[in-house]
Amino acid sequence: MAYDPRRTNSGTSTPQPPPPPPPPPETSTQADMASTAQALETANPASAATDSYKLKFCTVCASNNNRSMEAHLQLSGAPTAFPVISFGTGSLVRLPGPSITQPNVYSFNTTSYNQMYEELSGKDERLYRSNGILNMLDRNRQLKWGPERFQDWVPGVPRVDHLSKGDKGAIGTEGGVVDVIITCEERCWDAVVDDLMNKGTALNYPVHVFNVDIKDNHEEALTGGKAILDLANRLNEAAVAEHRVHGSEGWENGTGPARQSFDEKVPEILADWQEKYPNLPALWTLAWL
Amino acid sequence: MAQPMDNVVDQVAQLNAARSLVLGDAAFYPQIVNGILPIVGASTRLELRRWGANFLAETFASPMLAVAQKEQLAPNVLQTIREILELPETDTTVLQSLVQTSASLYPLVFRHVVNQPQDGKSWEMMSAIKQDILRRMDSFPCPVKLCCAKFIQRVVQVQTPGLISDPRRPDQNETSLAVVPRNHAVLSIPNLEAESSGLLDRLLDVFQEETSDALLVNATLNCLAPLIRTRQSVANKIINAVLEFYPAKHVRPPFTPTIRVSVKSMERTARALLINILKKNPNHPLAGRMQAYIERLMQSRLEATDDASRKRGLPNEPTDGLDNAKRARLNALPPPMLKIPPMAPGPASFDRLFTLTEDTGLSSFDVKQLPIDLVLKIVVPLLSQVHDSTLAQAVDAVRARYQTITKDQNLQRQQQQKAAAQDEDDDYEPEYQPMDVASVVSEEASAVAAEVADLQPELVSLGPFVLPQPPPLSEEEAGEIGRSAVARVFGMLNAAETSPAPAKGQSQQKLGFARLAGSTFDRDAWSVLLARLATRAPAGLENDRQTKGDAVRRQTTIAESIRETLYRFILEDFRGRLNIAVIWLNEEWYNDRIQMKSAANQRDGTEEDSEPTVALNYDTWATRLLDGFLAYLDSRDIKVLVRFLSEVPEITIAITQRVASLAKDPERVNLCVQSLMYLIMFRPPAREMCLNTVEDVYQTYEESRPAAGKVLTKWRPQSTVLETATNAPESSEIKPITSEP
Repeated sequence: MAYDPRRTNSGTSTPQPPPPPPPPPETSTQADMASTAQALETANPASAATDSYKLKFCTVCASNNNRSMEAHLQLSGAPTAFPVISFGTGSLVRLPGPSITQPNVYSFNTTSYNQMYEELSGKDERLYRSNGILNMLDRNRQLKWGPERFQDWVPGVPRVDHLSKGDKGAIGTEGGVVDVIITCEERCWDAVVDDLMNKGTALNYPVHVFNVDIKDNHEEALTGGKAILDLANRLNEAAVAEHRVHGSEGWENGTGPARQSFDEKVPEILADWQEKYPNLPALWTLAWL
Repeated sequence: MAQPMDNVVDQVAQLNAARSLVLGDAAFYPQIVNGILPIVGASTRLELRRWGANFLAETFASPMLAVAQKEQLAPNVLQTIREILELPETDTTVLQSLVQTSASLYPLVFRHVVNQPQDGKSWEMMSAIKQDILRRMDSFPCPVKLCCAKFIQRVVQVQTPGLISDPRRPDQNETSLAVVPRNHAVLSIPNLEAESSGLLDRLLDVFQEETSDALLVNATLNCLAPLIRTRQSVANKIINAVLEFYPAKHVRPPFTPTIRVSVKSMERTARALLINILKKNPNHPLAGRMQAYIERLMQSRLEATDDASRKRGLPNEPTDGLDNAKRARLNALPPPMLKIPPMAPGPASFDRLFTLTEDTGLSSFDVKQLPIDLVLKIVVPLLSQVHDSTLAQAVDAVRARYQTITKDQNLQRQQQQKAAAQDEDDDYEPEYQPMDVASVVSEEASAVAAEVADLQPELVSLGPFVLPQPPPLSEEEAGEIGRSAVARVFGMLNAAETSPAPAKGQSQQKLGFARLAGSTFDRDAWSVLLARLATRAPAGLENDRQTKGDAVRRQTTIAESIRETLYRFILEDFRGRLNIAVIWLNEEWYNDRIQMKSAANQRDGTEEDSEPTVALNYDTWATRLLDGFLAYLDSRDIKVLVRFLSEVPEITIAITQRVASLAKDPERVNLCVQSLMYLIMFRPPAREMCLNTVEDVYQTYEESRPAAGKVLTKWRPQSTVLETATNAPESSEIKPITSEP
């Protein structure tokens, strides 16, 4: 975050004081470039966004509406503004209807949040306003175009168009890969791990898959989203530390635990995090994209 | 100082611009990749190497870039990777990306070399990179090691034979050992296969480690699914390796939260892998073991989570067998003794008999008020809860009471009988109120019920039951009923015939002469029964009838109808049912003898007026049977005929004449002569009779002369017919019927 300008000024003896020149995070840089091509070269402030290494996240729930989108909001809106994409693992997008047997059903990838919003507010604005569905959809349409299905996601396919559509968290995910997947229900975790196996692990790209069990209601989604952000921060901190140790600051300078890699720290981080959030049972594995 | 750094920032910015270009349009990849290689090569700054390695990994993993283009780019990239690796590179991020790139490149280069055997250089470079990675794998930092495991998985996948989906279109086939030609210049299939087998073992070794590294285990488990799915030859080996792996056993205490997270993650990942396999192929040969493994994992997980909170359990054995306190813990106390009150005074009733409680409220409760299903609902669980010994005590108590009552009552009864020969049933009645059972103790009651049932007949003495006299049957009705009974016996005969009798041989051998007619329920038994029904049952009755007059005689008697049916039954299949015929005729003959004997006795004792006559059936039916089937005999049926002639109890002239008539048919001349010859040889009582017949035949039928002549020269050389050889018929002497079986 706020470290590069001061560091450049401080002018440490080593030649690499500025941001540890970020190799993977280039994405954000480039995003900036798209908007202001020369900004990067001319002004230091621009590099503020680019300097630190950031993990790329993916949040997953059943319908890509409530829990995963709340987490999407939290992650993309954080001061760190993580790169984040989100998915649902259900066969269809299911939203509560007038009764439990009459859900509103939409298809993934082809229906936008805006469409849903319009349709439901046309149907019964009072009902959907009072049960929070419209508020949720309103939030979602601010974040991205529409719900996406995890099983239809092809990792590695560039998501440049999402960037141009202005999806929140799109900066950094243009490459179509993520470092961390966080699901919000055990069922979804199972579906994600299973689907990654089916996808054939063609990219040879490691990905940490977490589950944070969150009940599917607005309040829990909010608490859960915050907890996920906490987890993301802890993970990212470790990743950044790794980059620094092995990177510009010279890995010889690091001491014992500091030299431990990000991946090795994951079980520990999760265990610590779990102690703080005992009501959100967590699960983890290391899978491949 | 600032200058080179600015330069780097600048360069990275440019590179990022280039990247966004190819992300937007994959067509620029070749140009960009070749362009950046010198910038990010071995001797450049770390930032640039990181960026470059990352970009290469992304490029060769990208689904947007065509395989053919990747293949073209590969050689140049290989060179760069090799140079960077040989630096030697120490930066984790760079190494990680390079190993990832190598994993993506491996199948590409392999395929390229398969198609272009002359390009041995690329393969050489790829091999060098592979060796370098494999050699250094164990010393790499963890994140790189993970990528190495993935690299190994990729190598194994490439160097194991896969499926050839379409041999005509090699470009469509998946890259595997199966696409390598046998005589490839560079690639030697046996070597590659051996290498991949070794690498697979190395990959699976992770499941054998004393202490598991959750990261490596999970990374391995998660990359095995494609191998299992697409490489049949190694699938079972991999599954077996996974099935041998129990995460909880591969961790050392103390069980810190971190360890718990690791164990849980390994268990869940192993489970996910097996479920993935099972979903793809529910009929997998190892499906049963996989299911069991999944279940065991679930269980061990429960145990592991319980472990923390669980207190120390009971000791498995009593630490001190003499310590009463401890023994009491292990052996439940015997149930308390039931306090059984003496039976309530007053007349005995089931109610009182089974009431074991002294509580008046309980014993006066009428269970009949409850619906039966409710009672069932209560009683069944109750019964399962009642302690064995409690139940036994209750049963014993009731039994003891019951015995006392019966003893008393017997005593009473005897006294009463002595006193007055009265029906004791009347006295007994008032005490016997079966609907009065008290169900409060119904569990005991139902348990004892079986026992009581055995004893009850004494209590329940019914009066004799007399069936009403049936209405008298008319003769016709009786005959009708008799015939229908016979028809049923014939039904049995047919049924017994169709059902196979495998044990027949055995049992009959053993029985032999000791056999009793009709003791085995096979076909023979039924036919004996029928024959006797026909012959002996009505014996003596017919005589009366005969005397009564012709009108009655005309009515077919049951015996006659049985004979008629038997006759027809045998003729239906005379070859198969010959033994029935023999049984029957023997019975007839025997019956005739017996009748004659008894008639002779009567004759001796009575006057000549009432001379009893005997209707002889044997002759009639023997000739009828012979007539019946002779017409159907053909020249090969010698055995059938000989058997019949030898087994019937008596040969008569009528029979020999019938046999002689066979000679009419030139084809059956031999049949006739041979059967007669058999009788001559083996049935001495009939010998003369048969020789006469042969002479007769000899004279009558010219065709028989060669055969009949031989018989005559042997057995009756002095015969006149031989000399004359004329057609002059010779009056055959009629001999008395003398032959006996």
